Amino acid sequence: MTVAVSISHVDKFYGSFKVLHDVSLNVNEGEKVVICGPSGSGKSTLIRCINQLEEHQSGDIAVLGRTIDGQGKHIDFIRRDVGMVFQNFNLFPHMTILENCVLAPMLTRKTPREEAEAIAMQYLERVRIPEQANKYPGELSGGQQQRVAIARALCMKPKVMLFDEPTSALDPEMISEVLDVMVGLAEEGMTMLCVTHEMGFARQVADKVIFMDQGRIVETAPPEEFFSAPKNARTRDFLSQVLAH
Amino acid sequence: MSDATLQADRARPPVSPFVERLKERLFPTPLSGLLSALGIAAALWIAFVLIRWAFLDATFTGTPEDCQQTTGACWAVISARWRLMFFGLYPYELHWRSGIAGLILIAVIVASCVPVFWSATRLALLWVVSFALFWIIMHGGVFGLETVTEEKWGGLTLSIFIFCGTALVGMPLAIVLALLRRSRYPLVAKVAAVLIDTVRSLPLVTILFTVSILLPILMPDMPLSKISRVILGMALFFAAYQAEIIRSGIQSLPVGQEEAAKALGLGYWHRMTRVVLPQAFRRALPPTISQFAISFKEVALVIIIGVFDFLASGNAAYGSGEWAFTYVEVYVFLAFVYFLFVFSLSRYGAYLERRMRVGK
Repeated sequence: MTVAVSISHVDKFYGSFKVLHDVSLNVNEGEKVVICGPSGSGKSTLIRCINQLEEHQSGDIAVLGRTIDGQGKHIDFIRRDVGMVFQNFNLFPHMTILENCVLAPMLTRKTPREEAEAIAMQYLERVRIPEQANKYPGELSGGQQQRVAIARALCMKPKVMLFDEPTSALDPEMISEVLDVMVGLAEEGMTMLCVTHEMGFARQVADKVIFMDQGRIVETAPPEEFFSAPKNARTRDFLSQVLAH
Repeated sequence: MSDATLQADRARPPVSPFVERLKERLFPTPLSGLLSALGIAAALWIAFVLIRWAFLDATFTGTPEDCQQTTGACWAVISARWRLMFFGLYPYELHWRSGIAGLILIAVIVASCVPVFWSATRLALLWVVSFALFWIIMHGGVFGLETVTEEKWGGLTLSIFIFCGTALVGMPLAIVLALLRRSRYPLVAKVAAVLIDTVRSLPLVTILFTVSILLPILMPDMPLSKISRVILGMALFFAAYQAEIIRSGIQSLPVGQEEAAKALGLGYWHRMTRVVLPQAFRRALPPTISQFAISFKEVALVIIIGVFDFLASGNAAYGSGEWAFTYVEVYVFLAFVYFLFVFSLSRYGAYLERRMRVGK
């Protein structure tokens, strides 16, 4: 098994506040990791360090064998192979759905427009909204927008996908349509790191579940073990809260 | 309410809702009714006086003497002196060249407003070609056209040329300044900020004096002509304000927009040109249109450094003895032409806003 993402001894500060304490984590190719934890525990910051939307101050992060060295050009290369889906979708509102999807492949991979559009339509079909291709993001529901955001990331043919609370901004009735797409992706063998509170999703697809608190990884376990026999007291506390309702 | 009054109400002939509303608005009580009536009478009277002056009693062609026999406006000065106002001191028999050159600029301004031309390459090509054409026709010296040096350029053509030059040099400069001011390198951001704030703190008049009088003294070998120096000075002034307008547009975008572009692996240049700036310009459209309107009117300030623009030519049009009494008509005409330009610009801005709302 090759390692897709390796994080070792990473520290990260916001000013003098330490958000990440000596975090280490390896994710193998094809592995699905769900990261959960209370808000402010550093889970989003951790996955945002992987594609350097946040810079870490010490420790090493390597993605697909390339170590992040702080050079802009190298980071752009890494980002092209690492797709990311945000809580607030972040589609580009001045472009149609199709334009959103072909932008990066055309600019960074120099894919010809026709080919890029064909690939985009293929992924839009996979997230089941090909008929919206020529609409603008503002005309779509939240769930549809998030599915487009996933398709847009997939158009770059990434080897790793990062999900940063992809369902937290959605109305409850739209959560499952997004989760279905993510489950499909997981079944196809995509390497995934998901920050989410959807414990059902974690149970269904995760190879391991990570619990973070106050900038540290507190517990790492396969889902069966994580949910039935959590070792750490804080994990048990957290689980009793999220699973209570 | 008895049946009888109900019947009477029904029997009343139907009144149109418009008349009904007018009655309600203008004559709700006897006192406001009286005031409304007085107001309407005053408005009608002013309109009548204006129409009588501008049209009924006006003289449209002829000599100053013809005008003095009537009490209305003397539009004859416009038909006698329009060439001076439009073309300034440009040689009389070559006015057609100045006319064509001015029309080319107007045509290109209009073309730039059409979405088909909205790509950096198309706009650049359009403007480079049109400025070259403008120069060939206006300046001459090639293709057997007689040379007319810049000192002889003037009138509306010159005003439009200075405005186009200002906007064309100023807008890219504004974008660069706005981006530099947001640079991640503190020193670069500081330098841009100081430059913008310095230029904004100076009156345009001092900048114009500097470029037209001080610069040639400090640098006697200056290869740039006076008009190009004026354009550069005005462009710098325009850029300082426009840079802040663009920056406000950029700041108003959600952080997630640039993050999403980064996460897709887009480099800085692509992030700015494809994601950040197009949205920033949409958001900053109303103040941008204002800035254009202000700049168009500010061109008139060049009169103080002896550039013979539209306003200066207007002054000259009535300034020569015989037409001296027609200054009101000349200024009304100047105002009308300015109005045509700036009002069209505003309407175009409103159209753009409607059009862009679709994509939101």
